[in-house]
Amino acid sequence: MPKLAMAMNEGTVVEWLVADGAFVEPAQPLAAIETEKVAYDVESPEAGYFKRLIAEGETVDCDAIIGVFADGPEELSDVDLGKLQASLDRGTEGDQQQHQASEPQNASSNQRIKISPIAKKIAAESGIDAASIAGSGPGQRVVKRDVEAAIAATRQAGLPVGAVLARVNLSGLRGQIAQHMVQSLTEGAQLTANWESDVTELLARRASMPAANADGRRISVNSLLIRALVEAVRQVPMANACIEASDIVLYNSVNVGIAISVEGESEYDSGLKVGVLHEADSYSLKEIDRQMKSLVERVRGGTSEPGDLSGSTITLSSTAGIGPPGLMSTPVLNSPNVALLGPSTPIERPVVVNGEIVVRTMLPLSFTFDHRALDGEPAARFMRVLHDLLESPAVLFN
Amino acid sequence: MDLTLEQRQLLFTNLTRADVYNQMMYRRMMQGKLIGFYHPAEGGIAPGVGACTFLNQDDNLSPHHRGHGIAHMLCKGIDIKYYLAEHTGKVTGCCKGRSAFHFSFPDHKVYLMSGFIGYNFAPVVGWGWAAKRRAKAQVVMNCSGDGSYGQGRAHEALLMAQNWKLPIIFFCENNGMSIFSTATEMHPMPDIASLADGFGMPSKIVDGQNVFEVAEACLDAIDRARRGDGPTFIEAKTLRFKEHDIGTPDLSGWTERTEQELAQLQERDPVKVATDIVLAEQWLTQDEIEAIRESALKEVAQVEAFADESEIARPPVDELLRAVFAD
Amino acid sequence: MTARTITFIDAIQEAISEEMRADDRVFVVGQDVRGAIFPHTAGLVEEFGPERIVDTPIAESGMYGVAFGAAQEGLRPICDFMFGGFTYVTFSEASVTTGQYHFLHGSQRSLPLVITAGVGTGQRLANDHAMSIHGTFAHHPGIKVAMPSTPYDAKGMFKAAIRDNNPVVIPWHMGIMMLKGEVPDLSEDYVVPLGLADVKRAGTDVTVLANSLQLQHALRVAEKLEPEISVEVIDPRSFVPFDLDTVLDSLSKTNRLVVVDEDWESGGFAATVSARVMEQGFDLLDAPVLRVTIPNMPVPGGYMEEYVAPNPERIEAAIRQVCA
Repeated sequence: MPKLAMAMNEGTVVEWLVADGAFVEPAQPLAAIETEKVAYDVESPEAGYFKRLIAEGETVDCDAIIGVFADGPEELSDVDLGKLQASLDRGTEGDQQQHQASEPQNASSNQRIKISPIAKKIAAESGIDAASIAGSGPGQRVVKRDVEAAIAATRQAGLPVGAVLARVNLSGLRGQIAQHMVQSLTEGAQLTANWESDVTELLARRASMPAANADGRRISVNSLLIRALVEAVRQVPMANACIEASDIVLYNSVNVGIAISVEGESEYDSGLKVGVLHEADSYSLKEIDRQMKSLVERVRGGTSEPGDLSGSTITLSSTAGIGPPGLMSTPVLNSPNVALLGPSTPIERPVVVNGEIVVRTMLPLSFTFDHRALDGEPAARFMRVLHDLLESPAVLFN
Repeated sequence: MDLTLEQRQLLFTNLTRADVYNQMMYRRMMQGKLIGFYHPAEGGIAPGVGACTFLNQDDNLSPHHRGHGIAHMLCKGIDIKYYLAEHTGKVTGCCKGRSAFHFSFPDHKVYLMSGFIGYNFAPVVGWGWAAKRRAKAQVVMNCSGDGSYGQGRAHEALLMAQNWKLPIIFFCENNGMSIFSTATEMHPMPDIASLADGFGMPSKIVDGQNVFEVAEACLDAIDRARRGDGPTFIEAKTLRFKEHDIGTPDLSGWTERTEQELAQLQERDPVKVATDIVLAEQWLTQDEIEAIRESALKEVAQVEAFADESEIARPPVDELLRAVFAD
Repeated sequence: MTARTITFIDAIQEAISEEMRADDRVFVVGQDVRGAIFPHTAGLVEEFGPERIVDTPIAESGMYGVAFGAAQEGLRPICDFMFGGFTYVTFSEASVTTGQYHFLHGSQRSLPLVITAGVGTGQRLANDHAMSIHGTFAHHPGIKVAMPSTPYDAKGMFKAAIRDNNPVVIPWHMGIMMLKGEVPDLSEDYVVPLGLADVKRAGTDVTVLANSLQLQHALRVAEKLEPEISVEVIDPRSFVPFDLDTVLDSLSKTNRLVVVDEDWESGGFAATVSARVMEQGFDLLDAPVLRVTIPNMPVPGGYMEEYVAPNPERIEAAIRQVCA
């Protein structure tokens, strides 16, 4: 529909002057058009077979397609009006995309703190939380001098001033862990002893065992350690106790707390939960292994059941496979427990066996105990029992 | 002054060309093949041809907007293909496709166009002033319609031109219409030329349908100006057969011009008038007349082909921004 | 070479006469320029004759037409409107037709003309004679707009304007007509390029953008406020093209901006600067950009002009507010 006048917005095809599909000559009148003001005959711009695409009496906007030309009559049969119109519109819209609107260089922030742009920028660069600064500008706006003062104060306090990578709040899980650790270290009289046990035979035996569970995985070394703890507790029951107010409470069953690493709240922090395998003393090795693995799964999956996360009487916290071989450490007690065993990554060492130097796989072990409950002698006896069990592990595999 | 045979033949040729160009523009507008608008020159092509056929290349020309100055410009040897390219938004247009309908051929001393009626009156004063200062017998041909003389700046131009004896021909193409307004309603005097009297400027009224009569009067005025004798006001009484611009109703006041009215006007079709004269006076034969028309049709076909084959101008915004100022 | 001390208006006269001597194509057209209603055309007709110092009737379109048409024909006119407000009488030619000529006609030809006129408050003459025109002309593309503030700048900038191949609107403020300042010896032909701002006084606490009479006001205020507030005063000198970089550089130091513009608050050039600073220098700002402008009323005459127009008191108040 040609735009014949500036004020013309649409036109009506009052009458088609050629048959649909007819061959037309240039300048041949095609259609009688009526606009808001006048009536015209539109003349053909081309020679060709012409297909009428709108009906008589139909009104369309200027530049809408009303007909199409083809070199041959057969081409006219499947004409897609929508596609044609779209390709026509694209031609004119392309220009608009080239035009760049002048846009502000900075996106606005979602924060509703009243702060000047430069103050906000400096605060961000210096890792200072703008919300924590009092504003001295008009309407309590935080201005540059306020941020500069805050930076000076931070420097005064000996803290670094610079771009902050992440800010992890000491609430939530991290806060709980932090609080627990501080409490454990400040309230007890804990100390750690380190030794190594030869687990060459234990590992060989374990390797030769058929797959324990349906999932094809072998018995975990931790399960063997739990069996060892259960046996050692029989010899030194004081190791299986909790400090509760002014009592040391020794327990019948061995509820082994197992330190399980979980995801933290950000990409930088981690979380720690202690899952509890209750009555480990009543289970076979296989059962311990099965229970432990499903406990870990539940805790990590967030589907822990009541009791899964409380009631431990002794704790196992392993860094085996994670820390460097032969790692010696000083684990923090899982208070109110009085004992914690912390194995780490085995290491090959030359040792003396029957007067000869041989290469054996040594398991480094850290044992933290609360001296309020366990003195050095029972603690050492406990460690000795564990050590002997690990080096002569037949009992553990029963 | 009397025209020579060559001059008469040239006038007829230019008139034929102007006619063919005007019909082409009208047709293209109807086919949706022009950008912007078109103010058809049917009935009014003779004045421009008469006024401009005998201008030199370094004479200034401000063409009338009716027919978009094509009749005027072709007389001056301007290649209209660059104007049609402009009118179709092509890169080859005289204004690089930026202007929709503005003409600008500075080498031929057609400098500018504007959408404000009467825009020409300010610049022509300057052209005339510079021409006089240069003293090279250069003239300024200022073509505009009856409506344009409502502008105050038109009167300022008349005042200053006559005062300083500037070599300007105030060529008024009076077709009696300004869109829907008639000159009889909008001007207190029947002749626009009477304005010139107030400034002591010589004037002449001619039959604008007779290209030869127009040309004779213009040649006189041009000679006068070249001699340094100052401006002349020439009023060509002409006609407008069609509406003001295509798509606008053809009203007079607020009622449609009737078929009868228009038929009466068309009896004085300028091509018919000129053809009758050249045949009667034997300035051209029928064959020669037809050959001239054939040649004009070929010329216009080539102009159209040039415009249609040229690329549409869509430069990036940056390029346009850099073009705002000259170096 | 010895520097000389001359007035602002004499500096303009020197620029015009030197350019006319150097280039035959330069001429002046206006009303009553031969008799030098203002001193910047004094002595010109005596030296160059009435062919090149041209008086016209009170026909602004015809008068401007002389300049416009002559510029198209290769001459280099200076069109003097006497008072800035009179450009509105032929505003269509002076803004639209002028600004669009080069661009719309395919960049074929340029239009080397200069428009000048007296503008500004201080004479108590009210709107017609006091209004500024730089903001309105700056709005129309294709026209360069500048205003000098000192004799040195006036001479150098008028020369630059006359030599520029584009239309340049360069009004002069009547309030500093008699301001004295140093200019180089007559033997030195110097030009102050258009499009560059000038730091007229260095400072660290706040940037004040001010031009012509208001520049003088701003400098006075800066002097008064030292050392309590250290004010950096920048003279934009040109409005189109506008040297935003100099302002942004200053802001990276001061973080505060006051724009003083002797034009109406609504739609004036100060608003444009403010918007551009916000778009391109948002992070530099310690406070919103403040403008000191003429309130949106016709410029009153009489004694009201003193406190309605920008003045040292209002500039100081704005500085204090932006530093709060």
